[in-house]
Amino acid sequence: MAPLLDVAGVAKRFGAVTALSDGALRVGTGEIHALLGANGSGKSTLCKIIAGAVARDAGVLQLHGADAVLKHPRDAERLGVGLFYQELSLVPQLTVADNIFLGHERTAPLGFLSARRKRADVTALISRFAPVLGDGFSPDVPVARLAADQRQIVEILKVLSRKPKLIIFDEATAALDRRQVAIFFDVLRELRAEGVSSIFISHRMDEIFAVSDRITVMRNGVTVASFATADTDQDAVVHAMVGDAPLRERIEHPRPANAAPARITLTSGTSRRLHGVSLSVGAGEILGLGGLQGQGQSVLLQGLFGAAPFTNGTIAIDGKPVPVRSPAAAVRHGVAYVSGDRGRDAALQGRSIFENIANATLVREKRRVFWPRQLKPRFEEALKQLNTKYASLDAPIGSLSGGNQQKVFIARWLATGAKVLLLDDPAKGVDLGAKADFFSLARGLAAEGAGIVFYASDDAELLSVCDRILVFNSGRITAELTGSTLTSFHLTKAAYGEAA
Amino acid sequence: MSPLLRFMTSRTWLVALAALLVLVAINWYLQPNLMTPRVVRSNLSVFLPVALVAIGQTYVILAGDIDLSVGAIVSLVNVIVVSLIASFGGDVPGILGAMAIGVGVGIACGLVNGFLVAVLRLQSIVSTFATGIVFGALALLVMPTAGGSVPSVYWRSYGGTLGGVPVIYWIYGVSLLMVAFIAARPFFKHLAAVGGHRAASFQTGLPTTRIRIGAYALCGLFSAFAALCLTGETASGDPLLGQALALSSILAVVVGGTALAGGRGSAFGSILGAIVVGTISNVVFFARPPFEYQTLIEGAITLAALAGGVLVARGRRTQ
Repeated sequence: MAPLLDVAGVAKRFGAVTALSDGALRVGTGEIHALLGANGSGKSTLCKIIAGAVARDAGVLQLHGADAVLKHPRDAERLGVGLFYQELSLVPQLTVADNIFLGHERTAPLGFLSARRKRADVTALISRFAPVLGDGFSPDVPVARLAADQRQIVEILKVLSRKPKLIIFDEATAALDRRQVAIFFDVLRELRAEGVSSIFISHRMDEIFAVSDRITVMRNGVTVASFATADTDQDAVVHAMVGDAPLRERIEHPRPANAAPARITLTSGTSRRLHGVSLSVGAGEILGLGGLQGQGQSVLLQGLFGAAPFTNGTIAIDGKPVPVRSPAAAVRHGVAYVSGDRGRDAALQGRSIFENIANATLVREKRRVFWPRQLKPRFEEALKQLNTKYASLDAPIGSLSGGNQQKVFIARWLATGAKVLLLDDPAKGVDLGAKADFFSLARGLAAEGAGIVFYASDDAELLSVCDRILVFNSGRITAELTGSTLTSFHLTKAAYGEAA
Repeated sequence: MSPLLRFMTSRTWLVALAALLVLVAINWYLQPNLMTPRVVRSNLSVFLPVALVAIGQTYVILAGDIDLSVGAIVSLVNVIVVSLIASFGGDVPGILGAMAIGVGVGIACGLVNGFLVAVLRLQSIVSTFATGIVFGALALLVMPTAGGSVPSVYWRSYGGTLGGVPVIYWIYGVSLLMVAFIAARPFFKHLAAVGGHRAASFQTGLPTTRIRIGAYALCGLFSAFAALCLTGETASGDPLLGQALALSSILAVVVGGTALAGGRGSAFGSILGAIVVGTISNVVFFARPPFEYQTLIEGAITLAALAGGVLVARGRRTQ
């Protein structure tokens, strides 16, 4: 019998980036199939192709043994494919019940809404999760009022209400606690018994081994291995994810003295998505934050910068406890933050390069009035250190390429003489030349005594630049990698929640 | 959440109702004959056009857009209907035909707006402001100066009674039925979903473009109804008839508890909102403040009614 889903040789390019070059996946009827891979391995793109949200450039996709044409999510839905979105498909103003049945409203004859049918159906759906719903959950509550885990359950129920034959759960358990996950797994197994298949993506290796029947591993846009879960173990899976990784090219540098004073220390930092994280960065050290995307790394950096202050925990800079409740406070204490999301976090669109650099200096030095002529030489010096290509300081920021824009935002902080540099995936979408300039500059700043915290979604960047890597999973540090454990094997293993 | 709170949350128009009761009480004190059938009827017929436009505007705002061209649609439909009745000869079939064409023109204007906003993705404030200018200019082409007249059978029927009940009450009744009908359809949920979170609605598989066009078409339809009523009221054509209607309809919608950002609200609330806004004018008129303060006081009370609704809604949400 043909498998429920058979994907082979699927490729997808976004502009110059190849997201998927040879994606393959076979899912049988009544099977729970785990899909694994590091950041950027192509698993999300593959799932979106199967769900009809992204069109493939090449390859074969068969559902129920027949070629499937998926131009729109609705096409996939008609063929029985349901995609779980991470919180993205709920309308906050609508109630739980209205969200679950959105687009499939329960109706009476003549197409009128039927409150009675809606209530009966929603009650039946919810009952499965009843013991773990928590306070304030009811079918009539607007989704805006629910906690993150409750919203995730609504998302799950919304997918289930459509009675698909194949469900893609992309990080469906990320916000759930242990009891909720247990019930969710029971539901998956019941569905399996009814012949419904699931594709399951999770960042927790123990969950994958607990629930899946088969495991498919992807690396760099290619499906590299497929296992029966019962016949394999975690090391084999991690090896498949990492592959025969070439020795990383390290930027050689003298090891920082072990007794280097701590530049910035965080003690049990806690916020909505971070659970008691402690860390310390010495002068001259580059500390990496690793793990799969969205495990708390960016939240941590934004917390240290005061952009999303911690609800609990203390920050000390150069051994002195300081309250950091806003970015302005952080800047005055010599903390700098460079985000990879230039458009959202950094750029003053339509303003000159000069203005884009000056803003941090003005905050840091509490200047109200200044002479541009005095500041310009400083800024030009900072830009020169980074090999920035620009016409003049008065040119608009938009006239620069992405990589050069990013250099301007780093120059912004160089001009302030920051002691602590927080880098939030700073090389995202930057060309290779700029990347190299950027990392050697980071190393140079460290050598001058700055403490650097560096998050990158690209493991290779982390491994080549960092002295030490803290690996995150679900808002917690799962491992600290130093010396001989600074390898992609250990990094990948720890990213999936296994202590290295 | 207590049942009372839940009842209130799902009925955003309750604040408008409370404001209305207070205002009516004040109005009654200032104008002792307020509750006589004649005065009630004349008040409600004054409020009717704004209420109708506000109903249509609700659907657009609920879906996250706005329609600033409603006033111009009213003017356009008015002059077209008046001109057509004249050219059809003024008999009853001709009048009905002209009215039907007027309704069609209203819907067509709505479709144009919907096309610009939902298909071409132009910003709704700007593009409906611009189409408002275009529709207004078309009205001036059809009838360069106010004038013309409709046969007496038109305005006599509008001001008369049917089965012992004033015709305008019938119009209110039919409008309420239409509001109830739309609110009971899945389409209404889809409007709120699109206005609440457009990306989520799209990912859920809702035809968001079609839904937004539908909202504009409904808005055009109800604007045309308002134009037919105003034609009965004024018995003539005026290319500037609807000028003030766009902003007063938006005011009525917001006072009626619909979120200007979309996603939450009801057309029933907008009817109440239109009556509240009209009653505020009455109260100020009968309180007889010095003439030069009238507009100021009217503005202040309107602001209070608006702020009250918004603040209560916000308080409920943070609980």
